Amino acid sequence: MSRRRHRKKNKKGVELNLAAMLDMAFQLLTFFILTFRPAPIEGHLSVNMPPPIPQTNVESRVTVGDEGAGGVIPALHALHMYVTATEGGDVEQVRLESSILANGPLSEGALAGIAKRLRPVFGEHNVLYDRIQIEVGRNLRYEELLKLVDVCSQQKQGDGSPIGKVSFVEMQR
Amino acid sequence: MSAQSSEAAEPNYTPILDMVFQLITFFMLVINFKGASLDQSLQLPVLGSARPLEWKGEHEPLVLNVDNEGRVKVYGAVQPAESYIASEAKDLRDQLTAKGDKTTGELPVPVILRVDRGTKFHLVNHVIKVCQENGYHQFSMSAMSGKEE
Repeated sequence: MSRRRHRKKNKKGVELNLAAMLDMAFQLLTFFILTFRPAPIEGHLSVNMPPPIPQTNVESRVTVGDEGAGGVIPALHALHMYVTATEGGDVEQVRLESSILANGPLSEGALAGIAKRLRPVFGEHNVLYDRIQIEVGRNLRYEELLKLVDVCSQQKQGDGSPIGKVSFVEMQR
Repeated sequence: MSAQSSEAAEPNYTPILDMVFQLITFFMLVINFKGASLDQSLQLPVLGSARPLEWKGEHEPLVLNVDNEGRVKVYGAVQPAESYIASEAKDLRDQLTAKGDKTTGELPVPVILRVDRGTKFHLVNHVIKVCQENGYHQFSMSAMSGKEE
């Protein structure tokens, strides 16, 4: 009889107590559920922005804006874009050097127009610009600025490489 | 018969344990502790061409949350921009120096700017200027890539 009992025990095998493991697993699960916060996937617009440089090339003795009179392109490396803003933060006017690119708030059409006007400036092989400096009105909303930076950073130079340097400074006047 | 009744009913824990472990595995894979550094209350601008940042550098980028009043928020707390950015730059320089890389000028780490879409330019520009003064030249401006948020 006793031999029979002994055999029965061996057949049953070792039984693990899973309750403790389950408790721990539930605690871990609770932690992960409570700390789970799905974040929307964000995009980024990367720009290389060294500190602003003087806007006049001393060697060329030509200042920004003077090139229109003589029809001579100065030996500048930064193309200047001026963006004025309304009190509410919308775009009032966008100028490229002295020519007006857009008036009023930025719409899809206005942005396309700006891109179209910028393309030939960088598309030619003999251009002297390798970066764009945007002078921005202090009240401009960040969203509007980003649209302009996006348009500028998408421009390609004569060799097909994108304009890597877009910087912006606060408009003084 | 009476012997059978006296045995306690033991549920089979194996399936539930399997399921729980699968759930734990799922949450472990999707958890993102960096998410805590992102201020979800900010309304980021929408930009169709924005792409996810592919940063494979050794050091983590500096994340700055700037609300519509120009305040820099770090893990939900408002920090003075000047001192916070300066201390982060100093820490990074110390780390680089410890590794034998003597960086005096540009820091090889981008600044992730998470700025509210309604923030006025001069407020954003102030933060950028402080970053530039401390050696940060690479900026990555966060935006939502679609119309939906």
